[in-house]
Amino acid sequence: MASIRKSGGDNLLVRYIILVSWTLVCVVPILWFLTIGFRPRTEIIVPEPIYWPTWSLDAWRLLVSDWPIALYLRNSVVAVAGSVVIDLVLAIPAAFALARYEFKGREDIGFYILSTRMMAPAIVAVPIFFLFRNIGLLDSVWALMLIYAAINLSLVTWIIRSYMLDIPKELEDAARTDGAGDLTILWEIMIPACLPGIITAAVIAAIFAINEFLFTLLIASTSKAYTMSVALANFTGGSDGVIYNAIALVSFIAFAPILILVILIQKHLSRGLTMGAVKG
Amino acid sequence: MLVAARLCRSKSMAHLSQKLEKGAAKAAPAAAVYSVRRPRSAAAKKMFPYLLVGPAVLYLLAITLYPGLFAMYQSLFVVKFVNWSWAGLGNYTRIVQDREFWAALGNTAIIGGLSLSLQTIIAMTVAFFCYRDPFVRGWRIIFLMPMLFMPSAVAFIWKLAFNDGRVISDLLMSLGLASNNVDWLSSVWLARLTLIVADVWQWTPFLFIIFVGALQGQDEEIEEAARLDGASWSSIFWNISLPMMRPIIVVAVTLRGIDITTMFTNVYIMTQGTPGGATETMSYFIYRQGFRMFNFGYASAASVLMLLITIVVAQTIVKRAFKSGKS
Repeated sequence: MASIRKSGGDNLLVRYIILVSWTLVCVVPILWFLTIGFRPRTEIIVPEPIYWPTWSLDAWRLLVSDWPIALYLRNSVVAVAGSVVIDLVLAIPAAFALARYEFKGREDIGFYILSTRMMAPAIVAVPIFFLFRNIGLLDSVWALMLIYAAINLSLVTWIIRSYMLDIPKELEDAARTDGAGDLTILWEIMIPACLPGIITAAVIAAIFAINEFLFTLLIASTSKAYTMSVALANFTGGSDGVIYNAIALVSFIAFAPILILVILIQKHLSRGLTMGAVKG
Repeated sequence: MLVAARLCRSKSMAHLSQKLEKGAAKAAPAAAVYSVRRPRSAAAKKMFPYLLVGPAVLYLLAITLYPGLFAMYQSLFVVKFVNWSWAGLGNYTRIVQDREFWAALGNTAIIGGLSLSLQTIIAMTVAFFCYRDPFVRGWRIIFLMPMLFMPSAVAFIWKLAFNDGRVISDLLMSLGLASNNVDWLSSVWLARLTLIVADVWQWTPFLFIIFVGALQGQDEEIEEAARLDGASWSSIFWNISLPMMRPIIVVAVTLRGIDITTMFTNVYIMTQGTPGGATETMSYFIYRQGFRMFNFGYASAASVLMLLITIVVAQTIVKRAFKSGKS
């Protein structure tokens, strides 16, 4: 009970009013959107909102019959997983160099990598569009993979670098006296020791890749390369307007795996989201 | 050969762990397990870190420097599909007189600024009230949920709630706060408000999770001592927690600020810039010029200007934020 007395506000009532109301703000829209996924279209865009719908699986049938939902899912998985692999292959050695070696320009190179995270996607949207058009990669999952990898590379590098900085130097010194080379040290000591950091980085990169919207919108011009994120924006049926129940279902299909991944790395989340700057 | 190398490695790992167990990692005599290892020249040693960091840097250069240069080059032309005609600085002289460009810049600042302030205040309040709560683990994952939805899905949630489904209007009416259906896209500030609500709802958790981590990391004894001295919780917050968290707040708010200024998805799905461009952000401006009106040269000029702003901000605010965050 002591921990209750010590907590934030002195007044329990005030504290719980704040917490409960913010919980409602977070949860109610999600639950309401879930009901949207299980109601017929006639009960969504209406003059008077219907809070208790007639339950139906219309949206599910519509998704399966009218939209290649399995293809969107596959596109998302391929592009996201591929991009995370590219990121790890490039970022782990880079993080190792930034964390463990003294070399000229280290600070500047590190900051350059960080600064690419600040670039608005819109700034490079037009040139990237021309680049991929010229090499014939428009409307391709491979192009999305390359883009996602680029977007997240800075984040992944900095997160892993931060975890590598925490590994005691003694481990390495011992291996070095044993005659281990630099790459052996990276492979045998650094990578296993900072595995939580690597997993955190991979999960956060995957989430950002799943969410990516602007580049996907520009590069994927037909449903051949649509990911879940952009496919949503195309669930419209001409005069029918936006097909919200299908959108709701698809967004929950994407939500479930993300929730599981985040629960897995919960302890590392704040450190990962700040690219290692905050040791939460 | 490969098998031998692998054997070698596992042998050394066994050595290593043995030594660590003995707690004499440094004192133990060097055992030459690696017979294959050749000593490298000084030059090769110097090059090694560059080889490690090189591929990542080249990849990023390809995706930032090349597009940057391309945008600069293209911004000097009027591009009509495949025809590029030289325009010199024409695009730039036009853009600095373009009311829509300045409006987009202003909208980005207004929507982003309000949204960021609200998120920071809410996240800080909620974090401060629950960081020593015994049930905080449970709260935390619930508070995180909005962040775990795809942004395009979140945009549709709020588009439906505000506009297409009229749910918010209905709730306001039943609370007696509105007399008839509110048309959220009819007024400048109401339209902006819908974007702010969507952004605050989704991204307050980002700041919350970071703030809670920071608060939990603070020294409990200092807090307890202050409490025994009769300090109220608000004075503990202002005099102990807040100063201690300052570097973390700076990093978190900076990161969030960067993302807010690139706001695109919500605008694309919820408002498309209506009414009269009042909700058009910089990202949407570039998108509209380039991919709706096909003024690629003009869009590139806007990109270059936005890039300049980004570089200035990155060099000043962000560099400092990350330096202070590390210490």
